[in-house]
Amino acid sequence: MPVPFEALIPLGLITGFFGVSGFFFQKLKTSINEGQPPRFGLDRWDRVMLDRDYRLTGTQRGQAHETAAPSAFSTNSAWNLEKEHL
Amino acid sequence: MSTFREASHITTGKFVDPTPAPAEAAHPEVGATSAPLKSAAFFIGSYCKDYNEDFMLCKEENNDPAHCLKEGRKVTRCAMDLITKLRENCEKEWEAHYKCLEKHNQEYYACRKPERTFNECVFSKLKLEKVIPGASNTPVHLRENTIYN
Repeated sequence: MPVPFEALIPLGLITGFFGVSGFFFQKLKTSINEGQPPRFGLDRWDRVMLDRDYRLTGTQRGQAHETAAPSAFSTNSAWNLEKEHL
Repeated sequence: MSTFREASHITTGKFVDPTPAPAEAAHPEVGATSAPLKSAAFFIGSYCKDYNEDFMLCKEENNDPAHCLKEGRKVTRCAMDLITKLRENCEKEWEAHYKCLEKHNQEYYACRKPERTFNECVFSKLKLEKVIPGASNTPVHLRENTIYN
């Protein structure tokens, strides 16, 4: 009996939809994270370090290995802008 | 102090800080971000052991931030000193290792090869060795095979 090729059409469609959406989702994730995979399993330490990285470099996932922090680092903390809670 | 939240209720528009400027100038801070620090963590631990222990003991006495500023500045200076030395001697290997860490969610297990070259470079140039305290048999970073032992 010949292969029922009509049954493979929806299989191909579903695979194609999965593939295309997965491809675009991967591209979106890496473009947000500047070409790297996203971070996961972050605890409080990691979140605070990520915020510090952003203050040091200006980008979300940028890394730098300078000796001294730029002079803006001492004043660019967002906590200084926090409104008073009375 | 029980939960951490990011600064979210911030003022909008132009903001002028009403608090007066501090009496002394701002001290220099370490300029390395999280991945280079994680990569050099064990070397910072062994190089700056005395200053770190001083700071931790001081904090144990009194957890007030103002109490341990002097020890904190020593810790910062020691770390900056080591970063300068690493930049002079082993910059390429360090960069390779921390870039690998950034690609793998900053997990050590995924980047053993660049770590090996970096550790060899640091040992030959700066005489610092990575030691995992309390490791039982072979430390995990020296095992050839981590799956079948």
